[in-house]
Amino acid sequence: MRFRCERDVLVDGLSTAGRAVSSRGGAQPVLAGIRMILQGDRLELTGSDLELTISVELTVAGDTDGEIVIPSRLALDIVKALEPGAVTIDTEGEEARITGGRSQFSLHLIPAEEYPPLVAPTGESLTIGAAEFAEGLRQVVPAASTDDSRPILTGVLLAREGTGLRLVSTDSYRLAVRDLPGTSVLAEGQKVLVPSRALTEVARALQSASELTLLLGERDASFLIDGVRLSTRLIEGEFPNYRGLIPQSQPNRLTVGRTALIDALRRVKLMAREATPVRLTMSADGLELVAITQDVGQAHEQLDAQYEGTDLTVAFNPDYLMNGLDVTPGDEVSIETVDTLKPALLRSLETTDFLYLLMPVRVS
Amino acid sequence: MVSDAARTILHVDMDAFFVSVEVADRPELRGRPVIVGGTGPRGVVAAASYEARASGVHSAQPMAVARRRCPHAVILDGRHDRYRAVSAEIMGIFGEATPLVEPISLDEAFLDVTGARRRIGSGREIAMNIRAEVARRTRLTCSVGIAPNKFLAKLASESAKPRVSPSGPRPGAGIVEVDPDRIREFLHPLPVGAVWGVGPSTLAKLQRLGVATVGDLARLPPETLERSLGGAAGSHLAALAHGRDDRPVVADRAVRSISHEVTFPVDVVDPTRLWSELLRLADAVAARARAQGVEGRTVQLKLRWGDFTTVTRSHTAASATADGTGIAARGRRLLDELDVTAGVRLIGIGLSQLEEAAAHTEQLSLLDAPAPAELTRTLDEIKRRFGDSSIRRGRHAGESQRTPGADLWGPNARPD
Repeated sequence: MRFRCERDVLVDGLSTAGRAVSSRGGAQPVLAGIRMILQGDRLELTGSDLELTISVELTVAGDTDGEIVIPSRLALDIVKALEPGAVTIDTEGEEARITGGRSQFSLHLIPAEEYPPLVAPTGESLTIGAAEFAEGLRQVVPAASTDDSRPILTGVLLAREGTGLRLVSTDSYRLAVRDLPGTSVLAEGQKVLVPSRALTEVARALQSASELTLLLGERDASFLIDGVRLSTRLIEGEFPNYRGLIPQSQPNRLTVGRTALIDALRRVKLMAREATPVRLTMSADGLELVAITQDVGQAHEQLDAQYEGTDLTVAFNPDYLMNGLDVTPGDEVSIETVDTLKPALLRSLETTDFLYLLMPVRVS
Repeated sequence: MVSDAARTILHVDMDAFFVSVEVADRPELRGRPVIVGGTGPRGVVAAASYEARASGVHSAQPMAVARRRCPHAVILDGRHDRYRAVSAEIMGIFGEATPLVEPISLDEAFLDVTGARRRIGSGREIAMNIRAEVARRTRLTCSVGIAPNKFLAKLASESAKPRVSPSGPRPGAGIVEVDPDRIREFLHPLPVGAVWGVGPSTLAKLQRLGVATVGDLARLPPETLERSLGGAAGSHLAALAHGRDDRPVVADRAVRSISHEVTFPVDVVDPTRLWSELLRLADAVAARARAQGVEGRTVQLKLRWGDFTTVTRSHTAASATADGTGIAARGRRLLDELDVTAGVRLIGIGLSQLEEAAAHTEQLSLLDAPAPAELTRTLDEIKRRFGDSSIRRGRHAGESQRTPGADLWGPNARPD
């Protein structure tokens, strides 16, 4: 195999495909590599940990076709470190020679025949707008769990809602629900559970794209975005009944400026250390934020807010609250509560497309 | 950091502690080979008297081997409560010399007596006082190492210990002091295996470099050592080889983890039995955590299979817990991911990432019911007043009375 390519193009390709390469090094050493397939001027780079596979297609100046598996991390570090300009990769036997400027590296390859066969994406292909989907991911992916001991919660539920698409995630402490009313990609009653890790990569790839194509198979989903293909295994199992968690009516309702609350929370949070919560005291006088960490100190801040209901103090994990405020659209938000131990509902006054449900922290 | 030359550190180590406690309580055992440990088929030796050691018995040895080597030995189940009580008394004696006492286990501790020298006397005088007090109040002996730092103090107490010889135990020096000006004379002739952190694999690497004594180690160029062992480990070892160790003596070192484990007399393949055992152990861990006013975020599961391969799996949650059911549930998720069909010899569960439970906060969950705090408090109170076996879970009803921790060294021959 032999080709020439701009350094920056190759760096982009290697780092994108490399994101699917497990840093843990898994059971198969070959998966620590990136597979490169050159056909004419078309170079395909693939990284995979068998759960997530990312393929990138680049246009290069091809000379001799071929297929190799190159150590991912090392190849990227080398190419990144080269002088800007053209980079040549050519292989001879078990080695690849990487040349750029006056530098030359030769690198031992991983036998390509050991690379596992990857399932080609199947299913009906659907095209959706990138901007809206990307915003939806930004809103729900952070609320998914990162705890592998409950695999179901590490996924984001994609379900048909009305004629649109609904994205749902929960780590059991909070729940994020986003509706994309115009996006009808799923059949009536169809739902899939996509690992949030894959969707984080989708969101990254969507930054510069205008469209994405979704292919849903039986056990996997693929996202095609501008020459990048992300395929992920779907999570099997039943997502919790999230509808039952969303309260229909809450007696107490606070309305507050979103940015003002974010700014205040950012300050007060400085004193909420070692997992101590921030307390929200809500009354007709407005909203007061308090954080007290024993042996460290405390912070108070008063905010203007409208409140209907009985006086109430509820404590939250400040990061979870901040997270919800960050992804709730609009200038004003409402926080609806029942009591100190029931979930609080965070919503925008401007749209009903998004809701964020947050469980309090019990203080005793 | 106070420089080494200015510090006086004591390492006090009880001589054959568990066994000596038994002998002190039952003087008729004096002079006989005595072994404390798990007396059942899979028990291990926890401690052996110097008489038993002369026959080749040592701690961590399978009890079956110990019985063969020393057929006349008196073999006793451990009495943890008693050891803990004696340990508390000993630590109290240490505390009279200095507030800077760092217990390492039930039977050994570091003392920083730098500040006490003016008040009480030299390091040696303090050590003599401690030995005399320990002997007077507990009828036990201990060995004391005195040195400018922890590393040397530990080596010194080791060389002060009684020795085993074919003709029987020979008393040790009792106190060994490392003169700050003569560190090299003390340290360099010692075998390199005596240095902390030199395990079998490091030892093999060092032997390949021709290192046999600490002196050899000290003479090795630092680069060679770092290349062979890795940067941090290499430079750490080089410092120790020159007798340098600036770790402070930390009093009241908070408990880092709480755990219980149980070895089965026969390998267990039944998941229900494992779950039941896990729940019992988790309850005991939780009770200890609550008694100490702490709770933990990380639950660790330990399994050992019949062939002695051991795995540990841990899970760290967002919120801390000191609830038996909660700990068991986290443990169970870890257990469910392991294939137990090969048969489990030992199961254990531990709680770590401990934090003060004083300002108790709990992140509530949308999906899981919170721990019924009232019930837990009531159960703790019942157990405190009427004993651990006064009340237990329905699923444990009808089983023989066993207290987690009682069979730390393998199952005992009879249920206790």
